[in-house]
Formats: sequence, structure tokens, C-alpha cells
Amino acid sequence: MAGAATMVSSAGGLLAMLNETHPALKLHALSNLNAFVDYFWPEISTSVPIIESLYEDEEFDHRPLAALLVSKVFYYLGELNDSLSYALGAGHLFDVSEDSDYVHTLLAKAIDEYASLNTKAAEAHNESATVDPRLEATVERMLDKCIVDGKYQQAIGMAIECRRLDKLEEAITRSDNAHATINYCIDISHSFVNRREYRREVLQLLVKVYQQLPSPDYLSICQRLMFLDEPEGVASILEKLLRSEIKEDALLAFQIAFDLVENEHQAFLLNVRNRLPSPKSLPSESVHSGSPEPGSVQSENTTTTEDVQMTNGSQVDGNTSSPDPREAIYAERITKIRGILSGENSIQLTLQFLYSHNKSDLLILKTIKQSVEMRNSVCHSATIYTNAIMHAGTTVDTFLRENLDWLSRATNWAKFSATAGLGVIHRGHLKQGRSLMAPYLPQGGAGGGGSPYSEGGALYALGLIHANHGEGIKQFLRDSLRSTNVEVIQHGACLGLGLAALGTADNDVFDDIKNVLYTDSAVAGEAAGISMGLLMVGTASEKAGEMLAYAHETQHEKIIRGLALGIALTVYGREEEADTLIEQMTRDQDPILRYGGMYALALAYQGTGNNKAIRQLLHFAVSDVSDDVRRTAVLALGFVLYADQEQTPRIVSLLSESYNPHVRYGAALAVGISCAGTGLSEAISLLEPLTSDVVDFVRQGALIAMAMVMIQISEASDSRVGAFRRQLEKIILDKHEDTMSKMGAILASGILDAGGRNVTIKLLSKTKHDKITAVVGLAVFSQFWYWYPLIYFISLSFSPTAFIGLNYDLKVPSFEFLSHAKPSLFEYPKPTTVPTTTSAVKLPTAVLSTSARAKARASKKEQDKTNAPKSSGAEPSAGKGKSIDKDEDSMQVDSPADKKAEPEPSYEILTNPARVVPAQEKFIKFLEESRYVPVKSAASGFVLLKDLRPNEPEVLTLTDAPSSAASNPGGSVTGQQSSASAMAVDEEPAPPQPFEFTP
Amino acid sequence: MDPKITEVSQAFERFKAAFVRNDFDKCSELLSQLKVLLTKFKSLPPLFEETPNAIHELTLARDIYEHAVVLSVKIEDLDAFERDFFQLKPYYTDACGRLPQSPQEYLILGLNLLRLLVQNRIAEFHTELELLSAIALENPCIKHAVELEQSFMEGAYNRVLSARKTLPHETYDYFMDLLAKTVRDEIAGCNEKAYDSLSVNDAQQILLFSSDQELVEYIKVEHPEWEIKNGFVYFKQARESEPCKEIPSLQLINQTLSYARELERIV
Repeated sequence: MAGAATMVSSAGGLLAMLNETHPALKLHALSNLNAFVDYFWPEISTSVPIIESLYEDEEFDHRPLAALLVSKVFYYLGELNDSLSYALGAGHLFDVSEDSDYVHTLLAKAIDEYASLNTKAAEAHNESATVDPRLEATVERMLDKCIVDGKYQQAIGMAIECRRLDKLEEAITRSDNAHATINYCIDISHSFVNRREYRREVLQLLVKVYQQLPSPDYLSICQRLMFLDEPEGVASILEKLLRSEIKEDALLAFQIAFDLVENEHQAFLLNVRNRLPSPKSLPSESVHSGSPEPGSVQSENTTTTEDVQMTNGSQVDGNTSSPDPREAIYAERITKIRGILSGENSIQLTLQFLYSHNKSDLLILKTIKQSVEMRNSVCHSATIYTNAIMHAGTTVDTFLRENLDWLSRATNWAKFSATAGLGVIHRGHLKQGRSLMAPYLPQGGAGGGGSPYSEGGALYALGLIHANHGEGIKQFLRDSLRSTNVEVIQHGACLGLGLAALGTADNDVFDDIKNVLYTDSAVAGEAAGISMGLLMVGTASEKAGEMLAYAHETQHEKIIRGLALGIALTVYGREEEADTLIEQMTRDQDPILRYGGMYALALAYQGTGNNKAIRQLLHFAVSDVSDDVRRTAVLALGFVLYADQEQTPRIVSLLSESYNPHVRYGAALAVGISCAGTGLSEAISLLEPLTSDVVDFVRQGALIAMAMVMIQISEASDSRVGAFRRQLEKIILDKHEDTMSKMGAILASGILDAGGRNVTIKLLSKTKHDKITAVVGLAVFSQFWYWYPLIYFISLSFSPTAFIGLNYDLKVPSFEFLSHAKPSLFEYPKPTTVPTTTSAVKLPTAVLSTSARAKARASKKEQDKTNAPKSSGAEPSAGKGKSIDKDEDSMQVDSPADKKAEPEPSYEILTNPARVVPAQEKFIKFLEESRYVPVKSAASGFVLLKDLRPNEPEVLTLTDAPSSAASNPGGSVTGQQSSASAMAVDEEPAPPQPFEFTP
Repeated sequence: MDPKITEVSQAFERFKAAFVRNDFDKCSELLSQLKVLLTKFKSLPPLFEETPNAIHELTLARDIYEHAVVLSVKIEDLDAFERDFFQLKPYYTDACGRLPQSPQEYLILGLNLLRLLVQNRIAEFHTELELLSAIALENPCIKHAVELEQSFMEGAYNRVLSARKTLPHETYDYFMDLLAKTVRDEIAGCNEKAYDSLSVNDAQQILLFSSDQELVEYIKVEHPEWEIKNGFVYFKQARESEPCKEIPSLQLINQTLSYARELERIV
């Protein structure tokens, strides 16, 4: 008997049975067909009308079965829409848990359908949802099943997609690891939720859920609250933590504050600061307010912490003469946190770090200076720019001081930028900024002292020093702006004011600048336009309309361009809200305004990777009649895509081969912007051919972009970095090279070694939040095509690559940790040698290395003896981690040439504060037996450290005085060190001697 | 014995009795019951499950469906014939390895071929034919149908009609009647194309009618568009061929031009 193999060969019999009159036969046929539909759907498909009529037959009892069968047949026929509608008709017979292609496909289809319907309804603000209830039921069934099965990620994804926040909440609260789930949720809401408003809703829900958790993750909550722009929430959390008895809570609060500062949202930070309640019994405050009596207040504070009163710090009771110890602690903490929130702490620490770790190579500058022709002013000022960028934030102006003579060749606007360059070098030098610039600033009375160019430059420099932290200097800049009629000074003052008051939307300042704009002077007007934008960054205020109107009115191209960029800045990060304005600008007759429209698109959708924005930009990139607009459109892609860098090279790769040099230039900069600091291999491959383009300005752009991509990438991790350095050198030395590309090469060498080789360009903070200052800085920087002094804006996007551990007193204790990778991977580039031998970069001479070692030994001995180290800032080993076996012989990572015999160690001990480049972060490990434990495990930035042995005396390394001494393992005390140091204890690096370079 | 089988067997016996009595109403009623009962058996197609009584049940079911097919011929219901035949077919094609061949098989297959011929479904006719083995083709029932088809295709309609005399089985009678009509339809179709008009006499002869009356009746029912005038039958002129579709040249030109433009524009 061949029975076992007997298989039915055709569905004909069953199909024929469908036509029988008896319902039992029909049912039999249907259920059997349903079982065999996978094999016989081609046969069944011819009989679909019969089955459909069964489904529509009101009297037939098994209509769902018929629907299910039809649905399956349609599925096989590829008619998913029909299939879905019949599957919905099948009701519960459609089993969502069935593991078949059919069910998977249809579920996906159902969810898509549901999500798109819901999204449409939500976007049209149409409450009366017209969603098929059966569809909704199916999706809900699916969601419930996911939640029950523990597939929370899927459930969350679907819930977000379908805008079912109730289900989202359910999924999160029911998941076993709520923190991980929420983090996942945050990630996807940032990367997949395109509508800004909806993302806000999701985040609001998350914050709500967070707060219900037993052990809330305050770090994350505060980040979310910041995104939602709710300073009250942050302030109340901070206060709660500060009032806590436990020291760790205070540390956590400090950590939160540092993390918030990293996002550079000045207006938000100001708000938080103002909302933090002042300590109740601070004796200095003598405001008498009708607050409840101290006893009750304090008891209230100890018991209820949830309901903190937000009274803007006015709730102060000055009557209490004897300060409660608890209040005293709180008072002390609140002062600290205010300091942090104002950004002063981080700026100061950064400054100290950059100063002490400065590794910039003066030889490179010297080479450039010598090779540049004296009369070529473009290259001359490019060199000045490069010096500023190279030393950005380090306060080292040795080069300028050594070359006063050469410097004095700068005239007019070159002088303006030379003076402004000081601002870049001293960026963050808040306390002394003004006294530093004093010699150049406009003197009180009219007609005083220096040329307007250096005065304007000085005001611009002040803005750069105080960028995004301009509370202290704003008033001075306003006064200077009002008291002058010289357009050059106005220009500088406008830029400075815009930088200092970045994003504060201060109406008084705005009016001052507007007055300048209405003088209709081309030079001042341009700066005013940009400045207005800087002031109003991301506010989407109606001021933009005003600006647009004036842009139509004025005759000066420069002013229109400034305004266009300014308008673009106002819609920063507003996404869809900006669409009307963008539409208006991109349809304008004036190419300059269309060009502004490109920037508006770039900034409104910065980092979102929004498809619509990309499509629009690509459209303009190939279809606009104006080269400027096309160039900007391509460039703007870099901004839209920077959160997803891998995509950019792919998207612009075709454009980079365009016949139009402007488009090629834009492509180069787009890659440079979005892949800045990543060293992404595809990006480098794309830029490489462009650096030898036939058109000079394309070469310039490609060189600059390449430098941006390669910033802080060591030759050991990508050999092309070395090749690029040599290429730059060659271009600079080549007498016949075009001025344009030469300038590009000069700037590129500056960017490559920016900030003493300790900074990178970062547009995203560690929490994936965009850094406004950085993005704005790069956007304005990309304007240097028209106006070279704007090059300095790139300094806004620099962020130090440092790990800075802080103790409770916000001091830097000595602390060691591990970098689990070969030191050479992340080391500083080797210093160049005598410029005449070009190949010397590769082979450090024996003299150099031994002398370095000898020096190191000497300094070590000295340390041991006097216990007071003092080494020159230029010493190669300064700031580098302690070598592992330093008792034997110092294994200087900087001079591996004479250690050929010994294999390179596979790890490296770093000492707080240390340089940790982004690529290195994943190798950072904290030692377990260490005295300090970080509050959060971050591998870079500011990290608060918990002291496990609080009774032992602490050893501080980076003290108030940014002395150049590196780690002093001997255990010196602050006082001794500073007494030995040349610097005074309580002082920033001494202001440089004033020098004049009047021609 | 399984009570279900007994039940079916008994009902089948009653059906056969009624069948012999030519009590077709009773037959239909019983048949419907039988079919429902058969759905209970798991061993039948399409499941073909292995049960102890599988062979017996299969045989029984095949028997029932064979009777059903014959019954449908008797009550002259072509739809029922088709339905029952398709339900019977798996027993022949899929279960042939397990059951001894049915004596009725060729008769039924032949009937089906004839039905396809009558309904002028020549393509299906040949499909069925391809599925038959060489031995089956030798069988008089099948051979008859095949020969009929050949004559029919050749246009030797007289041979088709004369084949009535050599029927292999009485049930074929019904189909031969129908076939005559099919043949007539074919001829009528040809006439339409071939002639503008024909005299009534000629038409009567060509269409194989024995009297004018029958011809007039036929024209009234089947071809109301024909006209009988002055002793002539006028066939309606073949409809004018539809104008050939216009080439959307303008659209194509526009498209091509826009492609060219886009190409130029792309980077």
C-alpha cells in the first residue's frame, strides 16, 4: 500500500464542493481549502469570487472562515490591501501569534496601515479618528501579545509608530528592566520619530514614567527635561538632590549640572539657575518676604521633597541669624551648582586642561610663516587664522609675541582678524578677557588711540572669549556698540554681542542691533544680520519676518546675506515649524535669500536626517540657477545628516563628481561638517581625489574638510593622516600653488592641530543632544567663503577631548585609570623637526629622543628631590600618562624610536585630567582598587568622582593655577607646587604683555 | 464494522434502490445526505488519512460519487455533473495506487470528455486527454469521445451525427443530443461568416433541420439578429473592426524630452 504518500493533487474537488447546496459541505470544503491553501492557491484563485460571495452571504454561518481563505489567496497573489481587508473580516480566526509568512506579512501591513492612519489623523489634528475598529483591535492584540511575551522592544517600536502612548507606557512599566527599556525608547524616539511635537509627547511620557520608578535615573530625566525645555523640573530635581543628606546625591547633582552645561543651551541653563531656590538662611540675603517661619519650612523640606516651591529664589528668610547647619551645607552646594550651571567651572577647567596639555607644534607655524610670501595678504592672514585655531583656548600666544614684526604687516581687515584671533586663543578666559583685550578696545572718549580695525576686532574677540557665556560682558559690548558710529567697530561689536548673548533672545540687545541694521551700512549691516540670528537662535520668533522684510528693502548684498543667514539661525532645530519660512525663502526671487533658505533647511532639520529636507536640498543642489544656492544646498546636507555620519559620504558621493565646481566644493564641506572628527574611512576616500581637484577653491574646501574629518586621528589608526600632513606641507611650500588652495592648506593645518591638539569638532554631546553652539559655529564658519573673519566661528565647535575627574569640592584629584589600547593608537602626532628635511617627520633623530628622555629623567629627579615639579610647557612628556614601568626607564610614548627592542605595551595608564580622544573612549577602564569611583561611567568629559576614603588627604593635580606641571606622583601639595611655580596661585595664566602691531 | 460506515452503506443501498426505480427526487435527496456523511471520513480526499477502514471507505465513497455522476446525467444537470465529477476525480487520480480500478472509471471519464466537447471546451478536453494512459485511450468509451472530437474538428459533422448509432453506453445518449446542438451552433457560426444570405431551403439543409419550422424556431431562439425575408435568411454583417488604437505619440515625445532634460541636470 502506497498510502502514506497519498496526496491530493488538485483542489478541484473541494472547489466543486463549494457549489454544493448543503452548508455542511461548504464548510467542509472551506476548512479543507483553508488547510491546503498554501499548495493550491493558484487553483483557488480562480474561484475567489465564489468564496467572496460566501463571505458576503449574510446567512452563511462561517463567513470569517471564507474571509480568511480569501485573505490568504490574495496574500499569495500579492494583493496585500485586499488581503488585509479580508483578514480583518476574519476576526479572531486571524491568529496574530501564528508563525507563518502570511501572518507576519499581514501584521506588518496592518501596523503600517494603522500607523499611517493615526499619524495622518494626528497631523491633521483631527480628533475624530476614522480608523477601522477591527484594524485597531488587531493591532492592539498584537501589542498585547508582544507585551505578554516579553518582547518589549517590539511593543515599544510599534506603540511609538502607531502613536499609542498608552500602550507605550504599559510596555515600559511592565518590562523587567525599565531603565534599559526607557533608554531604548529614548534612542528610537530620537532616531525614528520625525515629528518634533510628537517626539516631545513621547519624551514627556518617558519623564512621567521615569519619575514613577522607584530609583529614578536623574541624569536621564534631566536630559529629557532639557530637551522638553522644562527648567522647573530640572531645578526641582537638583534641589532635591542638593538637600539630601547623602553626599553622593550632591555629587550626582553636580554631575547633572555638568552634563547639562555640555549641551550648551545657554537660555535653558539661565532659567534653571534662576529657578533654583536660594538657601533659606543665607545671612547675606536680607530680603524680607512673607515666607512661613523657618522651622516649618525646614521640616517641610526634610519631609516633602517632591513639592518644592519654585519662587525664583525670592523665598528667603533673612531673619534667621543662626544658620542651620543643614542650610549651610545647602547654601554651599547651591553656590557650587550655580557656578557649574553658569558654565564657569567647566570653562575654567577646560582652559586649564588645554593650557597644561597644549601640544601645538610651533614649527609647523614657523614653516608656514617662512614659506608664505610677504606680500600675499590672503596667505598672511590665513597664517594668523591658523595660529588662532591651533591655539584656540590654550591662552598660548607665543607665536604672536615672537613675530610682532611680521604681524604688523596686517592692515585694515587683516588687522581686524588678527586682533580677533586673540579672542580665539583666549577663548573661555572669562575672568581676564577684558583686561587682555584692553589695549585694543575702544577707549571711552571718541577719537581715542588705535585704529577702528583693531578696536572692532577686539570687540569681536571679546565675543569669542565669552561665546555663549556672555552675562558678564554683554553690557560692555552694548555700550560699545551704542557709543560708536564707525562701521568697522559696529561690525565687531555686533558679532561680539551676538556671540556673547547667543540664544538668549534678549529684546533690548536685539533692538540695539536693529538700530545698527537700519543705518543701512553694508559692513555693519551684515554683522548685524548674523548677530540678530545668533541672538535669536532657535526661537522661531516673528522677528524673522521683520528681518526678511528688511532684506527685501535693502540694496546691499552683504546685508541681505547677513540677514539671510540670521533668519536661518532663528529657526534652528524647529523642524516642521520652520516650513513656512523655508518655503518663503526658497521661493524668493533673490538668490541670496534662497541661499539663506538652504541654511534654514540645514539648521531647522539639523541632525535629524529628515528625508523631506534631504530631498529638498538635493533638488536645489541640482536645479537651482545660482551656483551659490547649489553649493549651499549640498553643504547643508552635512548639517542635516551629521547625526548619522556614515550616510553623508554615500549621499553626496555622486555630487562630489559633479561637473560644477561649486557643487563639488559643497560636497567636500558637507562631508567635512558631518564627519568632523570621526576619521571615517569613506569620508576620507571621498575627499582624497577632491584635494587635487582642477579648480582651486574646490581644493581649498577639500583640504579644510579633510582636516575637519581627520582632526585628532593619529597616523597609527589611519595612515592617510600622515600622507595628508605631508600633502599640506607640500602645498604650503610649493611656490607655484594657487593662493586659494594654499590658504586652504594653511587653514587645514590649523584645524588639524586645533586647540593644542586637544580638541575635536563635536556637534553632538554625549547624550546625543545637539550642541547648539557647535552647530551654529560651523554654520557661520561655512560663510567664510564671503567673509574671512567668520573663520573664527569654527572655534565654537571645538570641544576638548578630555577626561576630567572632579571631587566634591570640584577640584581635580589625582586619579588613575586605564586605556586598554596601544598608546601609539591615540598619541599626539610627533613634533615636526627642522623644516628643511621634509621626511624627518617619520624618523625622529636620536638626539631628540634621548634629549627628551634625559629631560624627563632630570625632571623626575628634580621632582623626587624638591617635591615641587616644574617643567616647561613645551616638554614632550607633559600631560602624558605616567609610563608603566617608569622606575626602570621612562617609556615615553612620544619617543618610541629608541625602544625598538621592547614591544609596545597593550595598555596605558592615564592620569586625571587626561586627553581621551573620541575613538579611545571605548577602551577606557576604571581601576577597581582605585580610591575614587566615578558617579557615572563616562569615558570623557567632566565626571564627578566619589571618594571612598574621604579621611585621607587628597592630592590635587590641576589646581587653580594652570601650571604646566604634569602629574606629580610624588604627592606634592597644592601650596608647595604653586610656590615653586612661576605663576601666582590664584590666577589664570598671566595676561600677555600688551603689544601693538600698528603698521 | 464502524457504525458510520454502516450508516453510509445503508443509505447508499436505499439510494441504489431509488436509482433503479428511477425515483430521481429521492435520489437527489439521499445523495445530499450521503455527501454530508462522507465529509466525516478522514480517509477520504483531501486528507487521505490512514485509518483501518480506509480502503473500504474509499471504495464506498468512490461508488457513491460514480452513481452521483450518472445520476446527474440522468437528470440532465450539467452543473451537478461537473461538481460531482471533480469530487470523484481524486479517487481516480490520487487513490489509484490503493484501490483496485473501478469498472465504471472509463465510462465516467468518457462521459466527462463528451461533456467538454458538448460545451465546446476543447482546451480542457485536450488537457484531460493528456492525463489518460495509452491503455485508457484504447477503451471504447474514451475512443468514442476522441473520434467524435476529431470529426468535430475536421468539420465532418455528418460523421458526428452518425456516431449516435454506435453508442458505448446508454448514458451517452443525452450528450449526443446536446452535441447535435453544438454542431449546429458551429455550422451557424460558419454560415454567418461565409454568406451574406442563404435561401431558407439551403439553410435548413445546412443546419441539419428536418423542417422549415424548426429552422425558424431555432433562429428565433438562438440568433434573433438574423433576418428572414423573401425566402432568404440574411445574416448580419460582420461588425466593423474596431479602429486600431492610436499611438500616444505626443505623450511619448514629452516623456523622452523630459528624460533628456533630467539627464542633463543630474550632477
